[in-house]
Amino acid sequence: MTSALFSPGMAALILFGGFFFLLAIRVPVAFALGLASLPVLVLEPRLSPMVLFNETFKTYNSFILLAVPFFLLTANLMNAGGITDRMMRLSRALVGHFPGGLAQINVLLSVFFAGISGSASADAAGQGKLFIEAQVKEGYDLSFSIAVTAVSAVLAVIIPPSILMVVWGGVISTSIGAMYLAGIVPGLLLGLAQMATVHAYAVRRNYPVYPRADFAELVKSAGVAIPALMTPLIIVGGILLGWFTATESAAAAVLYAALLSLFFYREMGFKQFIAAVLDSGKLSAVALFCVGTASVFGWLLAYYQIPKALLSNVQTWGMGVIGVGLFIAAAFLVVGCFLDAIPAIIIVGTTLQPLAQSVGMHPVHFAIVGILALAFGLVTPPYGMCLMIACAVAKVPLRFALKDTMIMVVPMLFVLLGVIVFPEIALFLPRLFSPEMIN
Amino acid sequence: MNKFLRLIDDLLAFLLVFTLLLLLVPVCLQIFSRYTDFIPRYMWTEEMSRFFFIWLIMLGATIGVREKMHFDVDFLPKLSERTNRALLFLWGIEFTQFGWNQTSELADMPMWWIFIAWPISGFLWIVFLLHHMFSASDGDESANQESVV
Repeated sequence: MTSALFSPGMAALILFGGFFFLLAIRVPVAFALGLASLPVLVLEPRLSPMVLFNETFKTYNSFILLAVPFFLLTANLMNAGGITDRMMRLSRALVGHFPGGLAQINVLLSVFFAGISGSASADAAGQGKLFIEAQVKEGYDLSFSIAVTAVSAVLAVIIPPSILMVVWGGVISTSIGAMYLAGIVPGLLLGLAQMATVHAYAVRRNYPVYPRADFAELVKSAGVAIPALMTPLIIVGGILLGWFTATESAAAAVLYAALLSLFFYREMGFKQFIAAVLDSGKLSAVALFCVGTASVFGWLLAYYQIPKALLSNVQTWGMGVIGVGLFIAAAFLVVGCFLDAIPAIIIVGTTLQPLAQSVGMHPVHFAIVGILALAFGLVTPPYGMCLMIACAVAKVPLRFALKDTMIMVVPMLFVLLGVIVFPEIALFLPRLFSPEMIN
Repeated sequence: MNKFLRLIDDLLAFLLVFTLLLLLVPVCLQIFSRYTDFIPRYMWTEEMSRFFFIWLIMLGATIGVREKMHFDVDFLPKLSERTNRALLFLWGIEFTQFGWNQTSELADMPMWWIFIAWPISGFLWIVFLLHHMFSASDGDESANQESVV
């Protein structure tokens, strides 16, 4: 682009320089992305600050992203409606008698919760209150209890529904239904890896065990929890059967959760209902606002063809699908340490997409590798939201639980590696159930 | 002044709850109309839901500024209170320019009832930021930050 005022290198310097400077003076990420775009927009004769408005408008004017507030509302309604308690009872009946019973329940409950909610922070906050104190009382180490809570919470963004997948589908146009299916097996594998780690800890440190639940208790607890556990089936099944789109499925999930907690479990009053709505509205709007400004930033990067310049170097390395997969995972792992997952998808995901495409990496495989790697960012410092929340609940500084968290993360890295090397781990479910979504 | 701001807070919170609940109506209508005969297949449902969605984001982002919910990155040492305020002021000036640009170029657009969301939130951001700047510092700034992910 010879007519542009700035060369790609110069533009990249101004954009990233401005962005990091603004971050350094504690401007929130969402605003830093927008403000860092301003100097270029003002100086470049062909552009104007109206781009900032146009691009944010285009982003928000999207029917897909509408699913984000709905999924968050579903999770909040289920939390307020006493559904978590019911699922806890079932988890206890299922895994309570394993070594480290309460910690195993912590992981399994996260798996169940992940199927209802797409938000790892909601999980970390809810279960932090539920488990950390209780585990310490039973003789578990505090740092281990925090680590298990934080690390198991990230399952929420991998097991469908997932807010990250909705955002990914919205900005990189990949089938959300196919991503949902592709997330199931890697998510369950991560859960198993965590349970194995908990087992190893529990045997070594002699953590307590619950007596095995009898069959009657198992059936009873399953009976109470089943209506709640139907939610993921409604969401994923409804999309697959063509009953509704991703957004409509989220609205259906809200209605279902509201009916369940208002009329079936009957633990939620009108006041809590309004509080859940207000909370979901605030949180999702703050996150989505950042999607808008990150899109402007990403649009400018593309305008100056900066991704192309960055990747032309990488493309000469001659990597295959596995090499590119590793490169993508590494990029997301590093970025995820510093940035919230949503702006990371918009800026890094769109940048890496041509690279993934050029080596013939399947778009759904690309999405799952990216989202898995970003999930690690939720527990890695300095900006690991789930770890921060779990530490805040326990009222200790972040570094207190760091060592145990890193130990718990290692087996999960093997799962990530497995998904990179064997794409079929992710792809075989969507291939089986909806071949038309994946082609 | 504080009373006035609290009034705005309540109004914003009310509008946010109202918009989110209202958003459910067109999306659900869209589903039901597909499977029932007595509800006609409205054409306006998707447009209307996007309209309320945009308002939801801008309103919520404004509440976010008020309650300091937007994330900042915490790996650098804290600056002194004074530098912080000076920088916030510069930031405010940039915002004003941003909002002004938008308002002036928007005047003759037919979809103003959507676009007006930007200048309104821009204006409220500035009001809230000024209020943060000149009110006593209230402890840890990142206490309210949560993530949707």
